[in-house]
Amino acid sequence: MSDTRITAYADAAFAIAQAEGDLAEVEDELFRLGRVLESNDELRSALTDQHVPVSRRQQIIEDLLAGKATQTTLAIVSMIVGAGRAADLVKIANELVQRTASNSGQAVAEVRSAVALTDAQLTELTAALKARTNMDILVKNIVDPSVMGGLVTQIGDSVLDGTVRTRLNQLRDAF
Amino acid sequence: MMLSSIAMLASEEPNSFWLVSDLNEVIWGTLSFLVVAFFLVKFGKAPTLKFLSGRIAGIKATLDEAEQARIAAETDRDSIKAALADSDTEAAKIIERAHADAEQLGNDTTIRAARDAQGVTERAAADLVSTRQQTESDLAGELSRLSLGAAERVVESSLDEATQQRLIQSYIDQVGSQN
Repeated sequence: MSDTRITAYADAAFAIAQAEGDLAEVEDELFRLGRVLESNDELRSALTDQHVPVSRRQQIIEDLLAGKATQTTLAIVSMIVGAGRAADLVKIANELVQRTASNSGQAVAEVRSAVALTDAQLTELTAALKARTNMDILVKNIVDPSVMGGLVTQIGDSVLDGTVRTRLNQLRDAF
Repeated sequence: MMLSSIAMLASEEPNSFWLVSDLNEVIWGTLSFLVVAFFLVKFGKAPTLKFLSGRIAGIKATLDEAEQARIAAETDRDSIKAALADSDTEAAKIIERAHADAEQLGNDTTIRAARDAQGVTERAAADLVSTRQQTESDLAGELSRLSLGAAERVVESSLDEATQQRLIQSYIDQVGSQN
């Protein structure tokens, strides 16, 4: 899908969420759904398989998000899947996060960790990143067991990597 | 013809003389002979001489042609002899050249075989070195992989909740300290 179309879908989701007054929740839920789709090939294949009827794919989404996401999020995702754009759901979610952050003058920091950060740690990390970048930072914590331990933060093209996985990789490369 | 008539007459009437008995016949026969001889000389000499001259010229021309043919034949014979001599020389040269070529070919083959053998030996040596290096590298890589695998397992087993929290806090402190 072209960037223009992805932006259009993200703008539509942003407008709907803002109109419904659920922007923060929708943005966060879509971001998390994006991460789930990134890490789950089976789910991604099921949602993008042209042989599976659209109604069935929408049903999969409803079953997946029922009770775990707002109705607005569910409606937006169902709309995207129904339009046959499930393959771009991750990009649309990322674009929505960027759109939401830039709307409030923030930069998005994707923080991957082996275990979920506590609220106190998120607050402290946000402050540290803000002080380091001189930007308002919206931290998005992604639990990713592959990092093993520590954190890796990506803000735009900048990466601050302090993971055990990277240390081990460096050790492997040093051999 | 006159002589034959005289002889016939003489034979008709044989006597003891070797001449015919009738003198008149002798006289007239002689005169007839002379007349005939005169006419023969008068009118037959020139054509006879001409005929003989032509005949001589013809024989001479034939002899000249024969001589020319003989000379040509001798020339051809000399040429053939020379050619035969040349062919012998050429054959000797060809044989000599063939010997030289065979010897050169043998030498070239020997040199090429030696060079090929040397190349094979060098390649084998290079392959051996390369294989040894590759084996050492593979071994080092395998050792590295095994070591890192063991290290990862050790690290994973040591990454309990407290360690995870320490790593997170350390990261946050490090980011904060780099302002």
